[in-house]
Amino acid sequence: MTSDVKVYRNVCPRNCYNTCAMLSHVVNGKLLKVEGDPSHGYSQGRLCAKGYAYTSYVYSSERLRYPLKQYPRGSGNWVRITWEEALNLISAKLLDLNHRYGSNRSLAYNKCSGNVGILHYATEGMFNSFGSHTKLRGNPCMSAGMDAVTYSSGGGKSPDPEAMSNSKLIVIWGANPAWTAIHQLKFINQARDKGAVLVVIDPVYTATAATADYYIQIRPGTDGLLALGIAKVLVEGGRYDSSFVEEHVVGWDSFESYLTEKVSLEEVQSITGVAKNVVELLADLYFRNDPAASWCGFGLQRYQNGGQNVRAIYALSALTGNVGKAGGDFYYFHPATDFFPLNLLNYQGPNDGQVTRTIDINYFPSQALSLVDPPVKFLWIAGRNPLSQDQEVQDWTKLLKELEMVVTVDLFMTKTAEVSDIVLPATSQFEDLDINVSYWHHWAALNQKAIEPYYETKSDLEIAQQLTRKLNELQPGFSNFPSERSAEEWVESEFTPEILELYGLSSWRELEKAPAKLRIGNKPWLDFKTDTGKFEIFSKDAKEDRLPALPRFWAGSSDPSFPLRLLTPQNITGIHSQNWLLEWIGPDERRNDVTMNPFDAVLRKVQDGDEVRIYNAQGSVTRKARLNQEVLPGIVIIYQGGKEPVNSLLSGLSADMGKKYSGSEGAALYNAFVEVEKIVRSQI
Amino acid sequence: MTEQMGFLFNAERCVGCKSCEMACKNENSTPANVNWRRVSSQGTGNNLSISCNHCESPECFRVCPQRAYVKRRDGIVMININRCDGCMTCVSACPYKAPQFDLEKQKASKCTFCLPRREAGLQPACVSACHTGALSVINTDQPPKNTVPTIEGFPDIRLTKPSIRFRPVKEKLRYWIK
Repeated sequence: MTSDVKVYRNVCPRNCYNTCAMLSHVVNGKLLKVEGDPSHGYSQGRLCAKGYAYTSYVYSSERLRYPLKQYPRGSGNWVRITWEEALNLISAKLLDLNHRYGSNRSLAYNKCSGNVGILHYATEGMFNSFGSHTKLRGNPCMSAGMDAVTYSSGGGKSPDPEAMSNSKLIVIWGANPAWTAIHQLKFINQARDKGAVLVVIDPVYTATAATADYYIQIRPGTDGLLALGIAKVLVEGGRYDSSFVEEHVVGWDSFESYLTEKVSLEEVQSITGVAKNVVELLADLYFRNDPAASWCGFGLQRYQNGGQNVRAIYALSALTGNVGKAGGDFYYFHPATDFFPLNLLNYQGPNDGQVTRTIDINYFPSQALSLVDPPVKFLWIAGRNPLSQDQEVQDWTKLLKELEMVVTVDLFMTKTAEVSDIVLPATSQFEDLDINVSYWHHWAALNQKAIEPYYETKSDLEIAQQLTRKLNELQPGFSNFPSERSAEEWVESEFTPEILELYGLSSWRELEKAPAKLRIGNKPWLDFKTDTGKFEIFSKDAKEDRLPALPRFWAGSSDPSFPLRLLTPQNITGIHSQNWLLEWIGPDERRNDVTMNPFDAVLRKVQDGDEVRIYNAQGSVTRKARLNQEVLPGIVIIYQGGKEPVNSLLSGLSADMGKKYSGSEGAALYNAFVEVEKIVRSQI
Repeated sequence: MTEQMGFLFNAERCVGCKSCEMACKNENSTPANVNWRRVSSQGTGNNLSISCNHCESPECFRVCPQRAYVKRRDGIVMININRCDGCMTCVSACPYKAPQFDLEKQKASKCTFCLPRREAGLQPACVSACHTGALSVINTDQPPKNTVPTIEGFPDIRLTKPSIRFRPVKEKLRYWIK
């Protein structure tokens, strides 16, 4: 029986740190099981719980099999249609709008990280091939922190996370790898087995916090101030790396006087909640342990002061001489995708003499509604579920009324698919060819086609090929998309001589044998890409962008009528709204819960298990209250996704940074404030 | 030479990621309601990952009216599916919920210590999948140093003498906001 097993290389393409390489076991065209690929030096033959459950994702009874159409939109009156009908309906609308407005600028797309494989940029490539249209800009996730890194070190290098196994101190600022990057714990534990200390600083007592040697609870969004407090203690005690500072830091004098004159430990204690002696303890840990790695999670930059939080922690890493040091250094985000030419994303469409316009992903519906001449009339959604995840839910409802056609490409009937006119079923990663790199580790891996597409599903690339072919049949020259170019040819085109050199490959086909690692390796580095060539604690660029030149602390706004801060972190059972694991792991109570401190609950006469309404000016959701001493008073936690997603409570505020990297500010998703009340069932 | 294969669970290292639980399902293709290994939260960040403990005195073996259970020379307890008539006596008798009732097949099924993998020289799927080294295979006849027979949250071991040892959770420093 085992002789019939064919093994293929696949990669988990989820929006996740770990981007694991997998070996897929296929018998008679059916995916029977998946394994970690032992030749992948980061994931080393293991997968996370979600990864091991992939056969339940591929063969889920909920998975979409055929193109579907519903009328009226949102009615649930779905009718199965053929691909031919779907392509005809979509083409007819595209041509109608093209003729009506004399351009394709009424066509918009909303596409993000549902599958981060490089060939999934086919959607953007397809829109480019239409000539001018309405594009997406910005990033909902990590752009504020990316700008903070860029102001400080010019972008520079993101260290090899495998090097954490040589750290003496690992300080995790607001990341929860036990749930979101489980593979990293292996390297962290290797260091701990050699005596390293693990510190977790987080408002939430996460699974990672629970395993740490030191857990330091902190008020949300105040991490930057804590870093400044630690820096003050170190600088005033003369316990910083003065030779690093002298050689590699710009703006030290002004930072030093800012720390000594403006930062007070009393204020650090009162704002962050971290006691003065604990600030001193952290300073001591940073001083005594060399090298010390600092890992800055994405949560702490989802605030109005998010970028500054990241700059302050990065500055702390610099003044302790850890930046650029193997085993030390500062970890945030590894922009590996940006190394590639991304020929689909950057595909050159025809010049029709009109200007393509852009919409900020974080304010998509309000900005789409504001566009005129022509208005946005057609929306294509792929790899996204904005109705579950985005801010401005009310504006989404308004926008949907204005749109003449909404097409969603997905594997499942998501909240967003439910309000679309046409839903196109997408392949899983096991059903198409792709290339994947990680935003954390340094490996690139090939994703082979292991099984035939499930029923009538198609990849984003195949959909782009077929739709553009159809459009050109109906109106020659409508699109210049090279619809004959195969997936293999697109992969080939990504592996320029520079990329092959970077990964030490002679051809991308070598990836059929094993994943490859970036050759920059884990060498110490100090070639900062800033204008000064140094680490800029004082950033002229930031000042020019009307931001503080120094990493300063600013508390951000709050809302007295809604006193509880809402945190919406990742759950262990899903990634944002993707949650196929539930089929195997069983119901996840956490998804229906709001967790709060008993003190806040008593004030509201809420008891454990009560049904409660969580509301603010933006919206309202219902959940079951769970009281937990470990939750900081003044905050409530709700996990993302589900039937009544929490995005309706998001504030719509922006982070301070993000423009440099992504074209617009990041979203201040954690500057959301709510009130909680018990739902009293009226007596019958 | 006596041998008793078993598990070592390092509670200090388990973060409750459930990779072991899912790796088991992936390996053994168990249906949705059957989880031969289960991870549960014990509160305050402590977790327990539990499967069949291939007990020295297996209660399943003792109570099964069909004599479907066997205990191998290496200590592994196996169920002969052909003999099982789905009476569920073992399901209710086992303190660790190791035999699980398969609704589709109307039979009990349980952890096999990944026998086919062991024959191929591999570790059980749950152990291979563990990211933190919290799960490993040991011969419980020669328990490793600094291990204990039970920890808080684990069912009473006196009845069946389970083939599992533990490393308990260490004290850690916690600085809560007051």
